[in-house]
Amino acid sequence: MSAISVGTTENIVQVDDLSISYSVGRHDVPVVRGVSFAIRPGEALGLVGESGSGKSTVARTLLAHLRRGSTIVGGSVTVDGADVFSLNDRERRALRGGTAAIVAQNAGQALTPSMRVGRQLREALESHGLPGGHDRVLELVRHVRLPDPESIIDRYPHQLSGGQQQRIAIAMAIACRPRLLVLDEPTTALDVVTQAAALTLIRDLAVELEMAILLVSHDLGVVSTMADEIAVMRDGIVVEHNTTAELFAHPQHDYTRELLASVPRSRRAEIEADTTLDKTEVVPVVVAQDLVVRYARSLPAAVDHVSFEIGLRETLAVVGESGSGKSTLAMAMAGLLPAESGSFAFHGSDGLEGDLTKPVAGRSLALRRSVQLIFQNADTSLNPRRTVGAAIARPLRLFTGSTSKDRVAELLVEVGLTPDFASRLPAQLSGGQRQRVGIARALAAGADLIIADEITTALDVRVQAGVLDLLTELRDAKGLSCLFISHDLAVVRGIADRVAVMTGGRIVEIASTEDLFRSPNHPYTRQLLEATLDPGMTELPGVDDAKQTWRDADGWDDHGNGHRTRRWESA
Amino acid sequence: MMASTTGVRGRPSRWMRGIASSVTSSLSGSTALSIGLGLIALHIVLAIVAPWISGHDPISTDPSVALTGSTWSHWLGTDQYGRDILSRTLNGGRYALLVTFLATTIAVSIGTILGCVTAYADNWFDEVVMRVVDALLAVPSILALLVVVTVFNSGLWVIVLAVTVVYAPAVTRVVRGAARTVITQDYVTAARARGEKPLSIVFREILPNVTDVVLVEYAMRASWIVLLISTLSFLGFGANPPTPDWGLMVQENRTALTVVPMGALAPVVALATLVVGLNLSADGLSKSLGIDRAQKGAVS
Repeated sequence: MSAISVGTTENIVQVDDLSISYSVGRHDVPVVRGVSFAIRPGEALGLVGESGSGKSTVARTLLAHLRRGSTIVGGSVTVDGADVFSLNDRERRALRGGTAAIVAQNAGQALTPSMRVGRQLREALESHGLPGGHDRVLELVRHVRLPDPESIIDRYPHQLSGGQQQRIAIAMAIACRPRLLVLDEPTTALDVVTQAAALTLIRDLAVELEMAILLVSHDLGVVSTMADEIAVMRDGIVVEHNTTAELFAHPQHDYTRELLASVPRSRRAEIEADTTLDKTEVVPVVVAQDLVVRYARSLPAAVDHVSFEIGLRETLAVVGESGSGKSTLAMAMAGLLPAESGSFAFHGSDGLEGDLTKPVAGRSLALRRSVQLIFQNADTSLNPRRTVGAAIARPLRLFTGSTSKDRVAELLVEVGLTPDFASRLPAQLSGGQRQRVGIARALAAGADLIIADEITTALDVRVQAGVLDLLTELRDAKGLSCLFISHDLAVVRGIADRVAVMTGGRIVEIASTEDLFRSPNHPYTRQLLEATLDPGMTELPGVDDAKQTWRDADGWDDHGNGHRTRRWESA
Repeated sequence: MMASTTGVRGRPSRWMRGIASSVTSSLSGSTALSIGLGLIALHIVLAIVAPWISGHDPISTDPSVALTGSTWSHWLGTDQYGRDILSRTLNGGRYALLVTFLATTIAVSIGTILGCVTAYADNWFDEVVMRVVDALLAVPSILALLVVVTVFNSGLWVIVLAVTVVYAPAVTRVVRGAARTVITQDYVTAARARGEKPLSIVFREILPNVTDVVLVEYAMRASWIVLLISTLSFLGFGANPPTPDWGLMVQENRTALTVVPMGALAPVVALATLVVGLNLSADGLSKSLGIDRAQKGAVS
């Protein structure tokens, strides 16, 4: 477990036996215990772990930053030859942004909304005594490969896309030619195509400027493509530290193995024999024809003439980048948005017929019971002032007219919790447990169709694997149909029978999961697949920033076996 | 870190008890809140037991002992009619506290419900109510009260209702703002997707989650209202003589300020401590509940 350090002098970062504790009331909780590592120029170290493992705390010490209430218990952090915790205020300011720079998780929040990005870049330069002329700013913008720098610098952050914002944040970070770049979950907020492009940029800049990189991420795919070495953290301890290739080939620690095993992969060699075919032939549960959903009359349609079917006991996944209309589709199905035109029919297993174009208020009790929603963010999907038991009992009472402690306990056991959870408040639960309660609430009254809207994005990989397993298990046991919304192709591959790819409010390709991953036809699908990072990959895919290389054309191409692609022409 | 906060504390607790426990736990942490609530409690207890401990009848006059200084039988002296100032001060809080309690409770209740309902409705009802609220907020409160009291009379319920009409709009505004952030949460969406009735959503999902805002609002409005009531009495539109009342006492005794300074000073001190108590509680509550909320956010 000792750090791989060759000759201390040439390392830009040297962390020795670092221990940090955080005081909660009168107790001191150790959050980092004896962490050591070193990074040489031009090299990247990936710091991997679950939320709460202390990886962000370690990363921020490289900028001499400690969270309020934390204290250094022991060890030292040396950046570019200086012990960061013995610096005075002026030296610390020189370190931050000068020698070491950070790119935060959410660039949209890291940029000042009321200042044009050009001025923010100039500020980054001038605060470290560098000339902040117009040319220098333009050069920076060009450096991060943003098109049309002249107009970009005159825009406000909200006028840029998420990928562009992140590029500006990177430009600010490299403005003073730092020796060390700290990346704290730099691409978590971006979709896969933008993510691949941003990572390529960072990688190239690191080589060009000979920067050392510390990459903090929970995403093993991102880390494996970016980092030369990986340190796995758990409960404040580095449990394993090795070169990337070696770590993926021969994980030593049990925790690393567990972590690697729970990651869903999109490029799988073996695909187990699936029973998809006989599933699709039975009566569809949901039929959508030319469905249009619009937020306001003046806005373009968020869901634009979409047609699809969901068969009985079938899971249809809808994938696409943020803003593609996939969540709007889910909201419309749940009755939270009315459909503007088109038909949207529901055929229940017990002969129930329903019209899903109607909003909730116009739906019958039986239809509302049959269609249930699971939310993306389990933190906000449970009322913080109501116990878990009350949250599950409510739909029971509403839809079946009666509720009992035994039934609630039964449901809790079904989702892998214990009956005593009924008396707890959501704040006393972990993210994964909350998501399980969300599933129990959706299943309480006996639904036919589950709408799962990005249900695992807020969870760590291991917890995510558990929740997905549970959903699959319950779906199969209860014969549920499922609309599974996700931007994560790897997750989709593990759970879906069929996949619909959405972009710009339209479905561009729909096929069985196997066909779609084996022979994607639409350029957007291909771009999406290529940009997905799998753990163990050491090369970044050559994807450019979400550049649209096609134009929609009328009509569909049928490739047989339900595999259909919207026609397109090269742009 | 997660484990320590989400440890096994499997005790049944509803949201009211949750609020109560967070208040008691913040009592130990916040000096301001402890002192504030202590002052309020002292005032309430004194107001309740005043008739038994005051020793003198607060309204009986005795010209033979008018305008005396501190004596053994009249600790704080007497006013121009020979009434015992200590007894009048002790009893003087009864009227102000009762009116404040009634007016604040009614104003905050109406404001809270209207705020939650309008925030959720977000339609013509919301528009109409908020425009009425705007109109009411534009009227200066003391002038409105003077008009009401002049037109009708200065009976207890007239004043309570007038104060309610003056302060409920402000509460509506504040609670509506808080409720609108609650409405964007997924648990409200979940309730809508279940097809819950609007009122059920308001009372089950939204109201429990704005309780902290409402509590702070209550303490803050109460301190304003108690001052307003005393102002009314001082101007001669509130409590009728010879009712013992702080505002009225200040008005009666201000001409004799140089002779018996205690006559005006004692009710002022009483009023000031009550208002300081209410303000400290509002401050302490907002801090402890706010921090409470932030900590929960940090944990989750």
